[in-house]
Amino acid sequence: MPLPKILARAAGLATEAGSGALQQLQHLRLPGVGQSSVTDDPDTAARRWRAVTVLADLEQLRAETPEPLARFGDRLEVRVTPAPGGRGAELAARFRSPVTEEELGELRSALREAKQRIETGEVLRNEPQPHGHRKQTPQGEALDGMVERAPKEGVL
Amino acid sequence: MKAATWTGVNEVSVEEVPEPQLLNDHDVILKVKQSVTCGSDLHLLGGYIPFMRAGDVLGHEFIGEIVEAGPAVRHRKVGDRVVGAPFAACGNCWYCKQEQYSLCDNGNANPGITEGLWGQSPGGCLGYSHAMGGYAGSHAEYIRVPYADVGTFVVPEGISDTRALFASDAASTGWMGADLAGTKPGDVVAVWGAGGVGQMAARAAMLLGAEQVVVVDRLPERLQQVREHVGAETIDYSSTDVLAELRERTGGRGPDVCIEAVGMEAHSSGAAGVYDQVKQQLRLQTDRPTALREAVMACRKGGSIFTLGVFAAMVDKFPLGALMNKGITLRGAQVHAQRYIPELLERMERGELTTEHLATHVLPLSEAPRGYRMFKEKEDGCVRAVFTPGS
Ligand SMILES: NC(=O)c1ccc[n+]([C@@H]2O[C@H](COP(=O)([O-])OP(=O)(O)OC[C@H]3O[C@@H](n4cnc5c(N)ncnc54)[C@H](O)[C@@H]3O)[C@@H](O)[C@H]2O)c1
Ligand SMILES: [Zn+2]
Ligand SMILES: [Zn+2]
Repeated sequence: MPLPKILARAAGLATEAGSGALQQLQHLRLPGVGQSSVTDDPDTAARRWRAVTVLADLEQLRAETPEPLARFGDRLEVRVTPAPGGRGAELAARFRSPVTEEELGELRSALREAKQRIETGEVLRNEPQPHGHRKQTPQGEALDGMVERAPKEGVL
Repeated sequence: MKAATWTGVNEVSVEEVPEPQLLNDHDVILKVKQSVTCGSDLHLLGGYIPFMRAGDVLGHEFIGEIVEAGPAVRHRKVGDRVVGAPFAACGNCWYCKQEQYSLCDNGNANPGITEGLWGQSPGGCLGYSHAMGGYAGSHAEYIRVPYADVGTFVVPEGISDTRALFASDAASTGWMGADLAGTKPGDVVAVWGAGGVGQMAARAAMLLGAEQVVVVDRLPERLQQVREHVGAETIDYSSTDVLAELRERTGGRGPDVCIEAVGMEAHSSGAAGVYDQVKQQLRLQTDRPTALREAVMACRKGGSIFTLGVFAAMVDKFPLGALMNKGITLRGAQVHAQRYIPELLERMERGELTTEHLATHVLPLSEAPRGYRMFKEKEDGCVRAVFTPGS
């Protein structure tokens, strides 16, 4: 796959403009950093436990699957284990069968949401925010795409 | 309402934008009294942190009055005069409990971007790009502050707006550098950069008991402020060999603690300066670490360095060999302001910490473009441009 396409996919961008702008951003990155799996084959990557550490009571967390994860029903295995050093509990989940990149993204954001609800009682919102005129530029479009994908992206 | 926005590389505008709303139960809305330019904004302005969208509201160092509070806000109320912390921190995650507020797990709604850059996501910062959470900033008539019980601090009556304003970032950042670098009585501390942050780091080092504090810069009016308002020694690097001078002033040892308060756009002259500029323009490095390199070479064996200056990604010709072989400890952090603001306000009230001199230019918000130009170009002795959206 040509580089711009890989980059475009990495950020969930479909547009040519988007991948061009992203390519420019590659000088900010170390190769492989920021993806959940770098050298894993796709099957191994899909089967990995994805985990957030939650500063919460272990037993309470075990008693009930947090709502954002419960939404996935039986498709998900959920595991709660103690975190070392008084860090609370490790809340981990993985799909029972192979899924798409999009579904993995849903899981990432569900895990982050679950953690936030337990620790803060709500899910942080950042829209709508006051802003001035949004000029339509290729870089701007690429950034919009990146922001939209950001809750579903990352190393989780 | 009116707000100062980033509208392109090196372009600030004043635009009419919608007013902020309470989005979460822990939010407050502040009517901004004063909001100040910070050296960190220059990195955004110049396009070095390419996650700004045209129209984004700038500003993260501010004081204001609470005009609306969400239902979950317990310890603040409408009418409180407060300074805000730049970073949004929940107060409940493990990092917040360790008082590492700028690393809050729940402060950035766009974690995928920074995980992509750095392998993990620090917290979110108000008015500091979509990589840092996409929050609108404080150069506006009103600002929404999330997690307000944790991120806003009531200012005692005896402290003026302008003095308290800098508790928000410049003073808390400087204090953090001196504190986390381990400054203790008897130490010799060198600070690179005589901007708001460097000056406050130098003052903090003195109040923490350092025996000798030396600030390095080239701008005469800033070095003058350091001698007059901070009470530290100075070195003008444009006319003095910094390493030789520091050795001479420290009995040949070098400083015990080095605080870098310059950041990724450091200025340098000669061959090294050209080298860094070219590399940055060719995108072979993103950041110019001139002052940090110098700090590594200057630091005494076994000493410690704290980088307060903001870096985005990669640097070149970093003297890792010197760092390793001299047994130096290097740390850095975005500001854990929530940890320091209460103590700073007390010291401000007692008159131990004064900051008014940093506000060299106080301007209405409508003059934000001019304020940023003066601050960026260091015109007319500008150390910080303070905007007064209410006036
Ligand atoms: N860690 C944090 O949370 C935090 C908070 C605020 C600011 N900052 C960063 O701190 C840095 C300073 O902020 P500021 O508001 O004081 O900025 P500023 O631009 O006002 O000051 C920077 C100073 O560094 C001097 N300088 C440039 N090159 C130098 C060199 N080679 N040697 C010595 N001095 C040199 C400049 O002359 C200037 O006086 C910026 O990088 C900013 O992003 C970090
Ligand atoms: Zn700042
Ligand atoms: Zn937190």
